[in-house]
Amino acid sequence: MDLTLSAEQRLLAEAARGFVVRSCPPERARAMVADPIGLDAELWSTMAGLGWAGLPVPDAQGGGGGGILDLAVLCEALGRGPVPSPVLVSTTLAALPILWAGSESQRARWLPALAAGEAIGTMAIVEPGGRDEWDDSKLNGDGALTGTKLLVPWAASADVLVVTTSGGLRLVEPRSGQVAVERHDDLGADPLFEVRLSAAAAEPLGSGATEFQAGVVRRAIDHAAVIQLAYAVGCAERALELAVQHASDRHQFGQPIGSFQAVAHRCVDMLTDLDATRYLAYRAAWALDGSGDTDLEVATALAYGKDALRRIFVHAHQVHGAMGFSTEHDLHLFTRRAKSFELSYGAAARHLDRVADHMGLA
Amino acid sequence: MDFSFAPEEVAFRAELRSFLADALPAWWRGMFVDDERAIPTTRDICRRLAERGWLTMAWPPEFGGSGASVWMQTILREEMWANEEPRGPQYMNLNYIGPLIMRYGSPEQQQRFLPPMARGEVIWCQGFSEPDAGSDLAALATRAEDRGDHFVVDGRKIWTSYADAPADWCLLLVRTNRSAPKHRGISVLLVDMATPGIDVRPIDTLAGPHEFNEVTFDGVVVPRDCLLGAVDEGWQLVVAGLTFERAGIARYARAGRVIEMLVEWANTTGCAADPNVRRKLADLRVRYEAARLLNYRAVSMQAAGVVPTTEASIARIHNGQLEQLVSQVGLELLGPAGQLGADDPWAPLQGAIRRHWARNVPTTIAAGTLEVQKNVVAQRGLGLPRPS
Repeated sequence: MDLTLSAEQRLLAEAARGFVVRSCPPERARAMVADPIGLDAELWSTMAGLGWAGLPVPDAQGGGGGGILDLAVLCEALGRGPVPSPVLVSTTLAALPILWAGSESQRARWLPALAAGEAIGTMAIVEPGGRDEWDDSKLNGDGALTGTKLLVPWAASADVLVVTTSGGLRLVEPRSGQVAVERHDDLGADPLFEVRLSAAAAEPLGSGATEFQAGVVRRAIDHAAVIQLAYAVGCAERALELAVQHASDRHQFGQPIGSFQAVAHRCVDMLTDLDATRYLAYRAAWALDGSGDTDLEVATALAYGKDALRRIFVHAHQVHGAMGFSTEHDLHLFTRRAKSFELSYGAAARHLDRVADHMGLA
Repeated sequence: MDFSFAPEEVAFRAELRSFLADALPAWWRGMFVDDERAIPTTRDICRRLAERGWLTMAWPPEFGGSGASVWMQTILREEMWANEEPRGPQYMNLNYIGPLIMRYGSPEQQQRFLPPMARGEVIWCQGFSEPDAGSDLAALATRAEDRGDHFVVDGRKIWTSYADAPADWCLLLVRTNRSAPKHRGISVLLVDMATPGIDVRPIDTLAGPHEFNEVTFDGVVVPRDCLLGAVDEGWQLVVAGLTFERAGIARYARAGRVIEMLVEWANTTGCAADPNVRRKLADLRVRYEAARLLNYRAVSMQAAGVVPTTEASIARIHNGQLEQLVSQVGLELLGPAGQLGADDPWAPLQGAIRRHWARNVPTTIAAGTLEVQKNVVAQRGLGLPRPS
């Protein structure tokens, strides 16, 4: 048992934190909140140059050969910006499923490009009338897909869509012309899109059986959710720092409000929840790097973390008073991301149900 | 990072479990029960742990310990707390009274006091809180007059666990200097509880008898060679002792055991299929995991040679809140019969959850209230301003 990061992981975190301070002031996230595409191309190209776009992709496919825990450490630091970038989605929802399930030629075509950040990928899962990402897809069709996918992150920047269908996973190139994307009136976190496929050319991802491919989707969702959780930990850490700063600077009744226990203890509650979420996220990422069953570790982290993030941001706003409600302050940039994540990849209750299934309950 | 235990650690846990299964009588329900067999049982267990080298496994070899790794110590603590702490009062000797004597005691004091602790033959209590000094412990008023070769102690201590066990010795905080600032006039005395002038009055509690005592000192003579550390410099011993104590209790392990009992109960009664019950139990489980990992973070720091401070407080905040939540949710799940105690034939789980609830009412009060813990984290961990 050792819950300390390796020297390499500490260096990675330090480098990413430095990048956030130097290259990604909050104005960059602010500029993307309502942008129709949502991609800061200059920022993305810098990140790709640092090798981050392909961090968990094997060396042989042009990636960095890192693990999921490494990616979590990186994304936690990026959450402190918050850095608006497709790195979380493009790695976990496109590169990894293509690595796991793609044919040799599909891997060769996409993995080096995704790892270099020259291409961006995403996964289209949710359909109209569906409840969440765990619903079975009703979309069908082999060579050509027609239908609508909702809440697809980064679709307007994507060069490849991994699309769930009733017959398994399909690859679609949205720039081919039979795909229309439009940004939802979303919360202003990762840009989310409605994707309309009109007889869009689609090829099966690899040749695995439908059941195998369903497993790939679940595994990709778990990877995405754990990495998003790590990113949200970075968001929450910044929200706590902003709250402590505000509580130290803001004077009322002749004293800094942070000297009042009612305010100070909210900050402590944020810290105790934040730290718990961080280590649960690390453990889930560590488990995903291993070879065993990861369902319990992932579900535990998500069940606790999603609830904790909600509590943390309630406290953050209460401590900030009216200032935190105003978008002139930076807090909202982090709130948007934490809330969007809380609602994506299954709410806390879904993950509690997963945990319950591991407890020996009859 | 590595979130798994090494094979020798897993084996040690299995060995401990088999030892406890054999050594603990069926009626064992921990301390603070109205059962005169409890204290002799803890003495017996401590002697047997000492025979196996497990009692002082955390102590350095020069004091008769085996200098076991912090992870081995963690496993021992977990198995002890999961089984209602079969070492009884003596866990305090091992976790912080002994280590304080190692750090601050003279060679003579170390030779005199440590071997009986290592053999599992001595019960200590701690005289800290007073009627008017709780969270503001440094305001304590029990006086020790310096008469050269001895001190004369007058005053009252309260909420003193194990004094009526009976305790053989007391780690006593006294005021030796009334003109110095309150943190600078405190000393620590090692007091033989058989000294004339000491009166022990048990205080019954919601959890039953034998939990607390009020201890009065009336002209009690304490030889100078029982002064631990320097005169008037006792506060640093208090701070060090509380740090040892915070890291020394694996409360989450007991919560984990209670969750297992609730799962068994849900299966037996058939309510395990109720989605509401399942989610409530799963929620306890994820909070248990959160507390466990935060304790492991603090232990990982110790393993790397770093003293956890804020991190130990954060772990302790999680532990206390978890224990209380587990028993509250447990009682809610059991329904009205959950209020029945161990002596009632209709009590579900032999009254274990009611007992756990009652015992954990003071968990967020003892050894520094939750609020004091949060103040420490706010000011030292987050750098928030102190009240003016």
